[in-house]
Amino acid sequence: MSHDSHHAPVACKTELAPERSDLGLIRPDRTTGWLDWLTTVDHKKIGILYGAFAMFYFLVGGVEALAIRTQLARPDNDFVTARMYNQLFTMHGTTMIFLGVMPLSAAFFNFLVPLQIGARDVAFPRLNAFSLWTFVFGAFVLNASWFFEFAHLAGWFNSFEWHKALVYTDFAPANGWFSYAPLSGTFGQNGQALRFTGVGTDFWIIGIQVLGIASLAASFNFICTIINMRAKGMTMMRLPVFTWMTLITAVLIILAFPAITVALIELMFDRTFGANFFNPSAGGQPVLWQHLFWIFGHPEVYILVLPAMGIVSEVLPTFSGKSLFGYPIIVFSGAVIGFLGFAVWSHHMFTTGLGPVPTAAFSLLTMAIAVPTGVKIFNWLGTIWGGRIRFTPPMVLALGFIWMFMCGGFSGVMHSAAPADSQQQDSYFVIAHFHYVLLGGVLLGLMAGLYFWFPKIFGRMPNAPIAYIASGLVILGFNVAFGPMHYLGLAGQPRRTHTYHAGNGWEQWNYVATIGAYILGIGVALAFVNLVWTAFRGKKCSNDPWDGRTLEWSLPSPVPEYNFAQAPIVATRDAFFEDKHGSKRIGSEPDGGEAGVHMPSQSWMPLVASAGFLFIGFGMPMMAMGVPHAGWMVIGGLGVLFLGIWLWALEGPGGYMLKTPAASGTPVPTETAAR
Amino acid sequence: MSDTAAAHEAPTSTGIEHKKLIMWLFLASDCMFFGTLISTHLLYRKLFPAGFTDAEGHQRFIQNLFNIELTSFSTFILLMSSFLMALAVSAMHKGQIKSFRRNVLGVIFFGLIFLGCQVYEFTHFYHEGLTIQNSVLGSTFYVLTGTHGTHVAIGILWLIMMYFYSFTGKLGGHVGALDVEIAGLYWHFVDIVWIIIFTAVYLVEYLGPNGIWGTGLPAVAQ
Repeated sequence: MSHDSHHAPVACKTELAPERSDLGLIRPDRTTGWLDWLTTVDHKKIGILYGAFAMFYFLVGGVEALAIRTQLARPDNDFVTARMYNQLFTMHGTTMIFLGVMPLSAAFFNFLVPLQIGARDVAFPRLNAFSLWTFVFGAFVLNASWFFEFAHLAGWFNSFEWHKALVYTDFAPANGWFSYAPLSGTFGQNGQALRFTGVGTDFWIIGIQVLGIASLAASFNFICTIINMRAKGMTMMRLPVFTWMTLITAVLIILAFPAITVALIELMFDRTFGANFFNPSAGGQPVLWQHLFWIFGHPEVYILVLPAMGIVSEVLPTFSGKSLFGYPIIVFSGAVIGFLGFAVWSHHMFTTGLGPVPTAAFSLLTMAIAVPTGVKIFNWLGTIWGGRIRFTPPMVLALGFIWMFMCGGFSGVMHSAAPADSQQQDSYFVIAHFHYVLLGGVLLGLMAGLYFWFPKIFGRMPNAPIAYIASGLVILGFNVAFGPMHYLGLAGQPRRTHTYHAGNGWEQWNYVATIGAYILGIGVALAFVNLVWTAFRGKKCSNDPWDGRTLEWSLPSPVPEYNFAQAPIVATRDAFFEDKHGSKRIGSEPDGGEAGVHMPSQSWMPLVASAGFLFIGFGMPMMAMGVPHAGWMVIGGLGVLFLGIWLWALEGPGGYMLKTPAASGTPVPTETAAR
Repeated sequence: MSDTAAAHEAPTSTGIEHKKLIMWLFLASDCMFFGTLISTHLLYRKLFPAGFTDAEGHQRFIQNLFNIELTSFSTFILLMSSFLMALAVSAMHKGQIKSFRRNVLGVIFFGLIFLGCQVYEFTHFYHEGLTIQNSVLGSTFYVLTGTHGTHVAIGILWLIMMYFYSFTGKLGGHVGALDVEIAGLYWHFVDIVWIIIFTAVYLVEYLGPNGIWGTGLPAVAQ
């Protein structure tokens, strides 16, 4: 359904008469202010919102981590109760993975992928907004469990009948980020559904379910965008590596998340409707939960790390002044990692007694996955070898990534040997391993990305001295915090235990680890303050301050809403770099001329549809709590979701024609600024 | 249900429309979704071949519960609805809107018959003593087939809305045909999944005297 009146070229959208849907609803058309941020379908603004929420939740997860470390600083400490400790480590893991790392990766996907492939937006702009708001509401539901917990501790619920009937009252999730059955499930015959844990688990189930929907929707969109919206000449093997890793990550998400979706549905049926999927008293097999969880959970590890690998693969060539060494093999290794990622899940379960053949098979496959990862490391080393290296903040962080990620990889290979793993299982050695991978790897990679692309996103350059100090503090604090945990783990300190007695020889290194955690916390906080300051007040910089290689650096900073005034045509990999420094490698398609370029219209409907998840997200746990009539809230939420999607379908994508500066006579800036 | 931004703009890199591509991606994801559910059911069937114990405490076998004639009938109906869906898509490509409406009504009608059979089956099994709460079999059976039923119901809702939308005159041309084709992809997929469920959940219970899983008991009269 096209709105012809909206296809007249305009320089400013508000020049148009308000656009109406078939039902007479007016579509929002502000390009500034909070109304714009709520209804935007611009991938760049959505990317910035993803990033802002992710950084906020990084800080939330960081505070939870510091509370954990404070509790463990001394033996027999009572800084938090055991009950609170369980909630803290569960929410720390869940927050960092689902609300910190994944959305920050999504922020980069959103902002960069269309720019890197020479497109004006993603394939489905409104679906993109839906992914964002669904993530926001899912994150809110998950964290709202803390408010219920505090209300409970303050005694506000004491007068309610449903509260008196509760046996377990942990309102924030307390099962660990993997929520193993049977602890997260039920026991008892014939639908008694007696639970081992409180309502927190129900918040966790619905929260992860909603976040999964957000990730799935975003991934469908990005695969479609990358495969279908490449500029002319941008063949698959000319895609920037970050875009390639985005594609592989998105494929992993669409194939891995259904497993956790089903597992969560089954667990929800157990807890809410008395089914027996994981109920040991009725023959349910709790180990099935572990299988389903890790069929999702192991690809999830690569979902977290591949985007960071993509970022590093962009940063290293830029600051080495060389093209990426072995581009095809890096791309191929990424694909192999993604593929093998589905074949190693049982290495999380060696101690469950799989039997010798599966154990040997999963051991071998796990060792095999170190090969493509090692190939990447060598290619990165090959990239910086002989280059003219500039030690800018992103480069420092990217080099830190290689080094720290390698340490995590080494302890990872140790885990792949099943006999060794059975000693290390559930000890601090495992904590040390995956924090080296997720923090030393993913966080450093993402921070490198933030410092690298912030000048493009906001047109402002982060303060370099503070950036160096923050990077140094992060790398130092991280090693002081997690290095000793290798020793603590091998010395027998168990995970997920809220305290330990003196005399085990663990006191000293726990104390050191806590100091390291605080140094790390200060480093991350400093980096984030630096970045937020930059976004608003930083020093303005040129469009291409790093001498970049990919198409996004050819655009003005901040990037205009239509991205490319003229759609580019590329003739080679790293076309922008070669075009700057040598022969002409970028052409452009004729612009729209007086017709302008087509822009999608803003919409309320993604936000409305996502808001349905807010009601579902609060209704389901309240139903499990026994709050009267909470089921109606779930039904109402489904209604809002349906209404949102229905109006969404009826209003159509809309769209208007925007005159670009080139079309209206102003020359498009093409200068590639000073290095 | 209308054109995407790209429809008036440059053709896509692959030549496949965005909407069709994203539907294929969704179906790939849905394969893993149903794969997980079906695996859960089959794993538990292998572990507990003996069926379930009803409210009176009698051991019940699944073959006594299933009415394979009824389920075969509803499977046939669903297959035929896919045939009508193909006719509806073809009619839309030829711009024959009346033929499209006739066929899509047929799809909706057949889909409703299928759902009706499922409702009957669920009620019947419930009265026979199989509940979601009294056995693992009940949990896996109802959640698996219920999820498929939900997919069918969503498909029916989608087609009903498309049917009424066609009267506004806006469902037409290349874009309209594409929208119908995508709904068709979804419908065929749901149909194919049912063929797998029908085989893995129903038919294998009739292989040999005691089904593929055996009774799990020493030879007993069933």
